[in-house]
Amino acid sequence: MEKGIFNNFYTYLTGAFAGRQQAARLTEPGWLTEKREAAFALFAEKGIPSRKSEEWRFTNLEKFLSHEFKFQQEVIPERSGLALEELEASRIVIVNGRFAADLSDPIPDGMTFLDTKAALADARFAEKLGTVADFPDNPMLALNTAFFSEFSVLHIEAKAVVEKPLHIEHIYTSHASAAFIAYRTLVVAEKLSEATLIETFHSEGGAPVFVDFVSEQQVDEGAVFHSHMINNVGENVCFVQHREVCQFRNSVLNNSNISLGDAGMIRNDLNFRLKESGTETNLLGAYLVTGEQHVDNHTLVDHQMPHCNSSELYKGILHDKSRAVFNGKVFVRQDAQKTNAFQQNNNLLLSNQATVNSKPQLEIFADDVKCSHGSTVGQMNKDALFYLKARGIGEETAGRLLMQAFVFDILSRIEIPELRDFTEELLHKKLHTENLVIA
Amino acid sequence: MLNIHNLQTSVEGKEILKGINLQVNAGEIHAIMGPNGSGKSTLASVLAGKESYEVTGGEVLFDGKDLLDMAPEDRAREGLFLAFQYPVEIPGVSNINFLKTAIGEIRAYKGLDPLSSKDFLKLLKDKQELVELKASLVNRSLNEGFSGGEKKRNEILQLAMLEPKLAILDETDSGLDIDALRIVANGVNKLRSENNAFVVITHYQRLLDYIVPDFVHILYDGRIIKSGTKELAFELEEKGYDWVKDELSAQASPSL
Repeated sequence: MEKGIFNNFYTYLTGAFAGRQQAARLTEPGWLTEKREAAFALFAEKGIPSRKSEEWRFTNLEKFLSHEFKFQQEVIPERSGLALEELEASRIVIVNGRFAADLSDPIPDGMTFLDTKAALADARFAEKLGTVADFPDNPMLALNTAFFSEFSVLHIEAKAVVEKPLHIEHIYTSHASAAFIAYRTLVVAEKLSEATLIETFHSEGGAPVFVDFVSEQQVDEGAVFHSHMINNVGENVCFVQHREVCQFRNSVLNNSNISLGDAGMIRNDLNFRLKESGTETNLLGAYLVTGEQHVDNHTLVDHQMPHCNSSELYKGILHDKSRAVFNGKVFVRQDAQKTNAFQQNNNLLLSNQATVNSKPQLEIFADDVKCSHGSTVGQMNKDALFYLKARGIGEETAGRLLMQAFVFDILSRIEIPELRDFTEELLHKKLHTENLVIA
Repeated sequence: MLNIHNLQTSVEGKEILKGINLQVNAGEIHAIMGPNGSGKSTLASVLAGKESYEVTGGEVLFDGKDLLDMAPEDRAREGLFLAFQYPVEIPGVSNINFLKTAIGEIRAYKGLDPLSSKDFLKLLKDKQELVELKASLVNRSLNEGFSGGEKKRNEILQLAMLEPKLAILDETDSGLDIDALRIVANGVNKLRSENNAFVVITHYQRLLDYIVPDFVHILYDGRIIKSGTKELAFELEEKGYDWVKDELSAQASPSL
């Protein structure tokens, strides 16, 4: 036995596996059944990762996974269209991991969206499942591979320039009982394509939910892929995402990761593998946590080849008894000469009882590179606060102005106006500052 | 309007102001001059309510109210304004909305209705011309990336917008070229009236050619050691601060 968590939920999962496999054999291809077997063997051995594992030192899943989670059966949400109604976009609704065709818009030209059945039947995509994120010793990935119920694919055709953003609304429902939702997506952005994917995450119902979401993404040569994640799930949700992105020659990947909602717990593992030269990767992140919220962002930018640029800026504010974790790895491998890598994480820690663990981690094996990283944890700037107060602005308003400005630094870099407005609204809501407008 | 009586303050146990007495009436301009380290900026900061200064004695009355008892924001709302020696850069807070928020809070304190956006913008446009500040700067983040001169003019713009009863200018002239100095001084001169007052803190007499004071005080080692009219500033400029020091030590040991 390893140093994992072997709780009731683990027992439930291991007990359910054989029966699920039996049922799956009737509908799923043989290679997938095999993949699940292998993944399950690893998961059964290692268990759910505990704080004894270096990658989970600051996030105690045991605390969040103490409920009697069962595989989610519900499929119909009370409503969709939960966000970004002003935005001109094609909408895809995914309910508890499953594509809801009747709630979704037609897909724009140049793109294809495949649900589980279609995806598994299409060799181009099916064979990629589990090959982008292929880490045979990762128990959380293994958990997903063994138990995921749905698999959907977004395919962007070569040379397609899709101007209208695709908005995927992920909705989790838990009206009846504690729900476990494991699913995955695959994105393939082919050569010289350009597209924007906005993903918003929502929940309804009050019972506990454990979401285990894996997204594998392949950004081919010369492709430009803009991706935005706005996590707006409720406090009853424990959300764990593993996102593995492979970038090929001269591709551009922009990702924003915004958590300004009420999520009980968010853990993101966002890995960007720069497999060929000339790529560009821009990562933005913002989090604002209150109460007992917990947000953990692990990012990895893996420079494998020369002439790649990466830039990462994450900023967060912590109140009350909340916790935030930032672990930003940047690897610059021996072949990755002329790498430009920038990383910064800034935190405002506004309560004695809040905790932030910020860990930049640079590992450089090449000798002709330009890398910088920084991490700050600070309080409100006293000089700025005094300056505002000296102009008649009260303590509370002044504090909110400064908090807004701190996060706005990230939000202002979002290039889609409707999306930027939406994130600003979330910020105002969280700070109770509807009528304050900023730069 | 402002009555300072025997004001004493210290920072981290070190005594800075050792008993300041000063009376400023409506319609007056007072200049406070003094060498570096004499306590000029401390006086300004204490009056504005900066926390790091501890008041160890004395009192300050502002229109009859106990100023030292008020929070910094309430001092501003009562009509006290400090033009900072080093205006703070606040990225992400736009100049224009900062002003709007400040005016909103001050008006609310006085029980006045909020200014309409139209009236606010009109006011802003007028005052902007007064300090010759480009519109592009007004829309930018507060002081971020402003030159030294732009920051000082921005202080005067805020002064013009908030229309305080008493404005304290803390070395607003330092780091300004002559053109910027003229603009700042011109702004102040247009804003002065029978109902307001200015305390101009400066190291140099030069500013007082443009903003002509009614009274000049020399601050040295935490005390006002000499007061006079504008001629005192010329004398000081001519003879230097050593003259004051010499005179002071002569007074301290009259038997010699």
